[in-house]
Order: sequence, then C-alpha cells, then structure tokens
Amino acid sequence: MDADGSGAGDATVRPLIDLTSRPSTLTYLREAWRRREFAIVVPAQDLRAQNMDTTLGQLWHLVNPALLVGVYFLVFGVIIDTKRGVDNFLGYLIVGVVLFHLTQRVTLEASGSITQNLGLIRSIQFPRILLPAASVNGQTAAFVPALVLALLAVLATGELPTLRWFVLPAVLVAQFAFNFGVALLVARIGTTMPDLRQILPHLFRLLFYGSGVIFSVDAFVQSTAWRRAFALNPIYDVITCARWCLLGEPVDLWVVAGLAVWCIVMPAVGFVVFHRSEQRLGA
Amino acid sequence: MSDPTVTVEVREAHVSYRVFEEPAMGLKQGFARGRMRRQYRMIPAVQGVTLNLHEHETLGLIGPNGAGKSTLLAAMTGLLPLRSGSIRGRSRPSLLGVSSVLRPALSGRRNILIGGLALGFTRAEVERRMDEIIDFAGLRAAIDRPMRTYSAGMRARLRFAIATARIPEILLIDEALTVGDEEFRRLAAERIDDVRSAAGSVVLVTHNMNEIRRFCDRVVWLDEGRIRAVGEPAEIVDGYLSAPSSNSR
Repeated sequence: MDADGSGAGDATVRPLIDLTSRPSTLTYLREAWRRREFAIVVPAQDLRAQNMDTTLGQLWHLVNPALLVGVYFLVFGVIIDTKRGVDNFLGYLIVGVVLFHLTQRVTLEASGSITQNLGLIRSIQFPRILLPAASVNGQTAAFVPALVLALLAVLATGELPTLRWFVLPAVLVAQFAFNFGVALLVARIGTTMPDLRQILPHLFRLLFYGSGVIFSVDAFVQSTAWRRAFALNPIYDVITCARWCLLGEPVDLWVVAGLAVWCIVMPAVGFVVFHRSEQRLGA
Repeated sequence: MSDPTVTVEVREAHVSYRVFEEPAMGLKQGFARGRMRRQYRMIPAVQGVTLNLHEHETLGLIGPNGAGKSTLLAAMTGLLPLRSGSIRGRSRPSLLGVSSVLRPALSGRRNILIGGLALGFTRAEVERRMDEIIDFAGLRAAIDRPMRTYSAGMRARLRFAIATARIPEILLIDEALTVGDEEFRRLAAERIDDVRSAAGSVVLVTHNMNEIRRFCDRVVWLDEGRIRAVGEPAEIVDGYLSAPSSNSR
C-alpha cells in the first residue's frame, strides 16, 4: 500500500499546523465542494436501502407519489368540489401537491440531519454542511419521478407544451435554492431544539392551506391586499409560478418577486446561521 | 529549537464539555425562579495535558473511565474545541470511526464506497482502491452480501480496512481493536506497522493491557484529565494495575 505522499518525507522537516483552528469560510466551502460526492452518493444509497425489503422495491419511488396525487384527486376532485375558478383541476392539483411535498420532505429530513448523524460528527472531521446537503439531494432525487408523473398528468389532461414550459427549470432551481436554505436552518435549529421535529408537521399542515395547493387562492380571496399577502409565502410563490409555466394560470408580479427574494435570502440566512455555530454541533 | 521528529505537539490542552443539568424541581418552582431554560454546566475533561508524539511511535493511552482519553483524541482531530492551550501536528490525524456512517442493510462493497466518501476520498479514488480494501479485509466471498449478515469480526475488519485505506500519517484508535477476532488483530498489527514504517505515529486508547504490551512503545496514564505518568509500557501498566483504584477499572 502506498502512503499517498502523506508520510515518508524523510529529509524535509514539515512545519506543524494548528489542528484546532477553524478554516476560513472560503476554505470551508472549497473543502465541502471537494467532498460533494458524499452528499450525492450516501443519500442515493439510503434511498436504495429504504425499499429493499418491500415487494415492489424501487418501484415505490414511483408508486408513492402516484398514490399521493390519486388520493387528493379523489377527495378534492370527485367527492368535494373545490374546482371553482380552475379549468384543469387535476393538473392544477398535481403540480401543487408535488411541489409542496418536495419542500416538506426536504425540511423534515434535514431537521434531523445533524442529530441523526452524531456518531459520524463525533468521529470524522468534515464540513457539516454536507449532511443537510445530503438530505436536500436525496429528497430532491426521490422527487424526480413525481415530477415526471406531474408533467405526464398535465399533458394527459389536455395541456399542450408552450414556450412557458422552458421557464419551469428556473422555478425548480429557485425552489431548490430555497429548500437548501431551509434545510440548513432547520438542521441547525434541530440540534438545540429537537422539539422542532414535533412542530414541523403541524406547521406544514397550516402552510398547506395557505399555499393554495388544493384550491385557487385567487378564486377564494377577493381582496387584492390579501392576495398580495400570499406572495410572502415562498411555497405559494413556487407553486403559482410553476402553474403559470405548465397550465397558463395567471401570476401576479408580486409572486415572482417574492420567489426571487426567497431563493436568494433563504440560502444566505441558512448558511450564516448554520456555519456560525458549526464547531459546536454535536459537542 | 523544536524536535524535528515530532508529529503531534499537545501543549497545556484544556477541553471542557457542556453538560445538560436537570434540576429536580417542578413547574411551579421553575416559574418562581424564573429559570425554565435548560441549565448547563461545564465539565472539565482534559486539564492541561502536554505531550509530544514522534515518528515511528505507537503511544498507548490508558486510564480509568472518564479520565479524558477519548476527549483528548477528539481534540487532536479537531472535533472538539480547546478551551485553552494548543494542538499542532504535521497533518490532521484520522480517528478510526467510520462505523457510524455504514449502513447494515447495504452490501460490504456499497459500504466501502460510503465509508470512503465520508473519509474524504472521491468516488474514483474509492473505486481504484476497492479490490485492495476487500482483500485487506479478507472479505472477498462476502463482499456483495448485506453487512448485517456479517459476523462481528468481519464487520470489524471491514471498518478497519475502510478507515485505513489510505495509510494515515497519524492514526488514532479508540477502543477499536477489542471488538474483533484474532484475524482482525493480526490485520490491525500489520497496518499499525505500516503507519510506523512510513514515519507516522499511532495513538491507541484501550482498557486491554495486553494490547498495550503488544503494540505500544510508550504509555501515557491519564487520570481525571491530567497525565499521571509517562514511560515504558511494562512499568506504567504495572503501576496502573497496582494503583488503588480511584474509579472503575
């Protein structure tokens, strides 16, 4: 076995480096980038391990989102009628549910990303940002089949691809950036306040109704001022912009501005909060 | 001038833990005192340790539970911040500790990939060393089986093979040799020799005095976060074993 040039320098005396100091933010980010494969491969392997014992196996990654959308369609499309103001309710619903659940899954997963990896944190020195990053990557990868399903469903309900479809990747990238910021924030908060994991599901249930996932906010809320207040909700912004792309639903400029601000501010805030106390994580 | 053979230099290192205290009081008293926040207390774990680690050396670290052995290792890898003092070294030591990232449901081969990435290898580097790691661990026949089907000895060999896939310059071993079988201990001895012959250093924390006698050139006896004695293994181990036990032994 070789020693990778790390040891055998017999003649030269190498200076000792401080082992306890904290790297600069730039060095930190560079090291995190160098190790990025960790945050891609490990969650991919975890997804694989997840359904290994089931009969359907890896098919669950497709069946699960299909069931999710199916249940909502049954309840809100067939049994209770909330269609008013929407032409293509199935397409409308699918886009909303799928995108909402992406942010929800990422957040829940990331909130335990530090606390569930304490063993690793206590034994190996590496940029901790890789742990919430792994949560984001894993849940986003798991969401790809759902996205494909949503696009097929939108086509099947009679929509034709327009030039607006090309804007969708930008909306998804903005959502990814926002999700990443939230992941960093909740990963950090989850370490000092594990109670967060109990609170989050309820918070998301509330957000679900405030994000216009299953009904059209424009059709239910009459006042313009109140409609604008919805633009403060980042998930509403994402869903509304995506519906504009795929279904030609109307979008307010405030909503676009809201998304643009959230997808820049959230990662910045998340990183600062996470990085500031990183050395104390797990100690 | 400083000694050129020093690989790690620990100077007056102090490390404290923040420990959560649960005061025995009800809601009412809590409100009355206006202190419903959790209370923390700093517990000193390492209190002014100074030692040098040299090329070609295996240093044993012994002491009762709670003496600060594991804390000192964690501080040497930069995992725990120092309260005061300094720790400097030629490179960042590697602590044998990939076990926590490994996934029992996945095969040995996939676990080598995961463990290698956690240690900072790129995927290509792991792939390149894959066969070497499998052979070193002696797991050729079992490598595509889920890790949960492995015996304790096989698991120990796999972990050790991953953790030392790149021969580290400074290797820290915290009670990692006790778990395996004789085959595993032979591997470990071989790898420790590899590190030493490449001008590296090994620190071995253990409660097993046979391991100390078998592997170490020098022994540090820690007690309550301070160095109680340093010297030849035989001498220190005798002193340690015959000392009136201050703690569990």
